[in-house]
Amino acid sequence: MNLEKVVFGFFIILACTLNFGFFIGDISRIELHHPGELFGTVIVNLIALVLKFGDRTHIGATHLATSLAACLQLIAASLVWTWQVYVTQAAMDVSTTAAIVSLSGGALVANLISVVLLIGETLRQSR
Amino acid sequence: MVDVLFLVLRRLRSPLITLLLAYAISIAGMVAIPGVDDTGQPWRMGYFHALYVMSYTATTIGFGEIPYAFTDAQRLWVTATIYLSVIGWAYAIGSVFALMRDETFRAAAARSLFERGVARLREPYCVICGFGRSGSAIAEALDKLGVRVVIVDPDAARVAAVALRPFASSPLILVADARRPEVLRSAGIAKPECRAVLALTGDDEANQTIAIGTRVLDPATQVIARIADPVMQANLDDFGGVLVINPYQTFAANVGLSFAAPEVLQLEEWLTAAPGTLRPEPLRLPVGHWVLAGYGRFGRPLAAALAASGQTWQAFDARVEPSDATQGRVEARGGGEEALRNAGIERAVGLIAATDSDTVNLAIVAMARRANPGVTVVVRRNKAYNQALIEAARPVLTFEQSDLMVHEVMQALTTPLLERFLTLIRRDGAEVARRAVELLEGGCGRGSPFVWTFDCDPSQPGIEQALDGTAAPLRVGELTVDPRDPTVRLSAVPLLLSRPRQRGHPVLRRGRKARGARPSLAAAQLPSGGPGSVFDREGIGAGLTGNFDDVILPAADTELAPGDRILFAGIAEVEALQRRFLLDPSPIVFVRTGIEPPRSWVFRRLAAARARARATRRGATL
Repeated sequence: MNLEKVVFGFFIILACTLNFGFFIGDISRIELHHPGELFGTVIVNLIALVLKFGDRTHIGATHLATSLAACLQLIAASLVWTWQVYVTQAAMDVSTTAAIVSLSGGALVANLISVVLLIGETLRQSR
Repeated sequence: MVDVLFLVLRRLRSPLITLLLAYAISIAGMVAIPGVDDTGQPWRMGYFHALYVMSYTATTIGFGEIPYAFTDAQRLWVTATIYLSVIGWAYAIGSVFALMRDETFRAAAARSLFERGVARLREPYCVICGFGRSGSAIAEALDKLGVRVVIVDPDAARVAAVALRPFASSPLILVADARRPEVLRSAGIAKPECRAVLALTGDDEANQTIAIGTRVLDPATQVIARIADPVMQANLDDFGGVLVINPYQTFAANVGLSFAAPEVLQLEEWLTAAPGTLRPEPLRLPVGHWVLAGYGRFGRPLAAALAASGQTWQAFDARVEPSDATQGRVEARGGGEEALRNAGIERAVGLIAATDSDTVNLAIVAMARRANPGVTVVVRRNKAYNQALIEAARPVLTFEQSDLMVHEVMQALTTPLLERFLTLIRRDGAEVARRAVELLEGGCGRGSPFVWTFDCDPSQPGIEQALDGTAAPLRVGELTVDPRDPTVRLSAVPLLLSRPRQRGHPVLRRGRKARGARPSLAAAQLPSGGPGSVFDREGIGAGLTGNFDDVILPAADTELAPGDRILFAGIAEVEALQRRFLLDPSPIVFVRTGIEPPRSWVFRRLAAARARARATRRGATL
């Protein structure tokens, strides 16, 4: 067992599960989507991104690309939230909630691809 | 550059994750700890404000407690986060600096920058492997011609001297061992803009490896290698396609020639001197007994040349082992006045001081003059800065390796046909050389002539019809007539006609069509291309074995064929005049008939109509 592999797999899967946890729930109701969970998702995704730096294989490049996509979408979701709450200072409405949750849904797909890559790589290694 | 970016990211993984975690913990804590607003109501900080507070706190900017004054619980947490984040930043910045100082990283970054620079070169350049005395002198000479230089040398200190030299466009430098194929590839030897690879390191073995590696990686690149070892020279000559310059052998051959055919040397010196230099007198070394001080890689070929031209010689060398001493002619471990006397300095006509130490050479010359004041002296100079010292010894000839290398390499690069011509003259001897000197003196006076190449390129509109047989064939003599006034002869002497043995234009015979013809450096000097562009692949390194039929001093009525190249010597302005023959057929007609033919369609029709009218009128009067 390789500790590096454990840490790597842990962060990729945690990024995916946290993302799923935030995403699940009625897309129009903000009270079903906790800001702390979004924060955690962003942080874990950023860590996963940094972990994927510097791998020059083809599969490593795809890994990095999925993480970049996920981080981009999650940061966009948090920016929309921040804008709505602090800049326009309006109450959270349905369309903004839907935008935030659907952005995180996109990130979830990217994270799922990342997990699939991880599993595929593992299967190929242990054959 | 992408490689370097990935290297940086990989090396900075742990500091980046540390920073991320420090921020995440701090922000999460700020959000979790309850606070109060300005009216004393319970209030919780949002993620946005937490990130804001952390950002200015961690970077020690410190805007204060925003948006409301903190409670003591919050202050306690902020105190902890300050230490956490400052440690995180210190670690991250420290890692960046450590990376910048890292040798591997710096090498990778330099290599990456160099490769990008080479990839961006869109102008002719030469790759110089080995930045010693010859390498640096040739780099400067090429730079003066406007040719970019790529330098590869494993010694960083030596290459650093480039910054102190007056280069017009700074050379690209790679500190690496050029013997490795990937280094050669990085240096861009396979790019079409690469004119030549010059292997000029101090090590014969390395030069051989570079030359063969380059030929294998890209057979279309021309290679010039300096090799002092006769065995390796023979190897490379057999390998083919490499111009091998052996400075010692070259100089020894010159010494031999000055006994056998001084006119050849005279012609060579005259043709390769700066334009306008007065014709040198032939150098005649005295015939008789010669003393050689030094019998190493320079002394051996010299002794052979002396023997071949019928001189007697005696040598001594402090370093030669007794077992190496040949036929009692070489005194092993010899030195000083006694060795000179033993070698017969009193009865000698000449002395060659050929050791690899300038001070020893000077001492030998002084001792020899004391014993025999009338002796002719040839000296080897080892260090460029000793020039004044060596000149004070008043030698008739000085050998300096880097001077000779610069001369040979530049000649091979700029006018490869001249190199061919001189090789042929060396073979044919004094009679031809004397005739050439007479012709040159008749054609362009006593000043040193300018040398250029005229290329019978059938794609040029001016000579297309004369070459493909539609019009009367072009003759050499027609190229020496002034296209502005046919009664005037141009000051140009055709020295050599070089005709490809397989008929057809060199470009068409080339295997790799996409690469096309690589114009020589002569073309780099003349941006318009024109007759200056020589297909130097055929010219360089081909020696006497190339697929060419050569005619020395071709007669004026020699007919020209497509692909022929003619080496002319004369006045520099003549080259521009000759170029008029290429662009437009009318100068050739004018030279032949004395009539300026109409150039445009309308005037051609008018002229034809007038000729018809004249013919009918003549018919009517009859």
